[in-house]
Amino acid sequence: MSTDVEELLREGMDRFTTGVQAPDGLARAAVRLRRRRRAVRAAVACGAAAVIAVAAIAVTGVAVGAPARSGAGLTQARTAAYVIGRVENALATEHLVLRGHATSGGWGPTITWVYGARTRFVEFTSHSCGHAAPSGACTHHGGSEPYLAQGDAFIHGKRYGVYVTYFDRKWSGSPGWETMPASACSRTGGLEMSGPAIVTSHWPAFIKATLGCGAATVTGHVRIDGKEATKITGSPVTVRLQGGEARAVRERWVRARWTLYVDSKTYLPVRISGSNRSFGGPAPSYVFSSVTDIQWLRPTAANIAKTLVTIPPGFRHVNSPANQ
Amino acid sequence: MANDRMAEVLERLLAERADQLMRSAVLLMGSREAGQDLLQAALERLLRHGKALRGDPEAYLRRTLYNLAADGFRRQGRLQRKMLLLRAQAQIPVDEIAEVDLRDALVRLLLQLPPQQRAVLVLRYWEQLTEAETAAVLGWPEGTVKSAASRGLRRLRELAVSWHQPELQQTGLRGQQA
Repeated sequence: MSTDVEELLREGMDRFTTGVQAPDGLARAAVRLRRRRRAVRAAVACGAAAVIAVAAIAVTGVAVGAPARSGAGLTQARTAAYVIGRVENALATEHLVLRGHATSGGWGPTITWVYGARTRFVEFTSHSCGHAAPSGACTHHGGSEPYLAQGDAFIHGKRYGVYVTYFDRKWSGSPGWETMPASACSRTGGLEMSGPAIVTSHWPAFIKATLGCGAATVTGHVRIDGKEATKITGSPVTVRLQGGEARAVRERWVRARWTLYVDSKTYLPVRISGSNRSFGGPAPSYVFSSVTDIQWLRPTAANIAKTLVTIPPGFRHVNSPANQ
Repeated sequence: MANDRMAEVLERLLAERADQLMRSAVLLMGSREAGQDLLQAALERLLRHGKALRGDPEAYLRRTLYNLAADGFRRQGRLQRKMLLLRAQAQIPVDEIAEVDLRDALVRLLLQLPPQQRAVLVLRYWEQLTEAETAAVLGWPEGTVKSAASRGLRRLRELAVSWHQPELQQTGLRGQQA
């Protein structure tokens, strides 16, 4: 009997799949999906909703973790108050240039430059993907080159937000730029903290507001590169993705977590570690995590110049990042 | 890997094996659309791990395909699959030869089994792998494969028995009437 069932099952499976053929262009579609995922991830990390039309994030639902208010909450409140007091006396970061170097498993490194309200975020190909073809597919092993850039550019004297993809030599833009969040109290603020990009140029105010609203708590002290650092852990946030982004990544939600390490003397950030997990759609759940090490540099002309995106000559302008 | 080799390897692999992989994916998911989604997701993972293309890309792709399926890829699609099955059930012609109907019914039941059991049965009876080979593809202990196959087959046998019972009863009734 059992052999019969196995044989019938085999025949049934054969009948069920008779005439099934793989559609054309499977490889190209997979490459496109991967490319979109990369671009969308960069958009999620950068919070560039206004610029990336296809990746527009409509925040419609949220679950901000509740701040600690009871039990150990009193101690926490005192610690937060102490840190907030110290932050108020911290250096004004808008007069320094921030350089953030982020690494993440499986993805290429990123470098972010911030000066005042200007930002430039560049993602490089990983060592296992030395060069990306115009299709977005990796072509060889070893080396690293710019893959995409996002940030501010001056075009004919006017400031624009631009998105440049080096592999297909295209760029798109929109007037103006998304304003930086004032704190991680908002869902988008919390989401942006989970990515490799740097979210603000007003760190003391950002930390003060974030601790004040309970979106993060002081969770300890550690040593980073020999210096004492205060560890600030953000409450996880869950953000619903809608429209183009949800379609592009075929997922519905992003769950973001982050930890900020600030120099215990200056209260300038020295490291951010974050992760975001997209889930809830037909595609398998996807986790992206990164660690960004931060340097503070003098505002020399050369350093300031690095905070702007330059569109290389010969790159083609397209209307929307969806075409990149 | 030399320039452009990666894309070439993938194109060549799919030119030779895409239909077979697609059939496996359809069996694992229960419909062409869901099967295509599964295969697409597996291909994307293959692209993400360029190293796999330098080794045995088909083995990596197959392993990813089955593991995604066994992990409950497209979990929320269960309801859709059930609805598909109900629709398919309603379309069974009553005068079909019993043996042929049973084959269809077995496949429909296969699609209702938990993802792990389904993946094992497809590997064992569609891909015709041994238990050891199935365990290697899924990265599971052989004992886990054995028990998943055993549980899945038990459900299928129960169906086969219940399928034949009305037929037997009907035959018995005819005998009494004669």
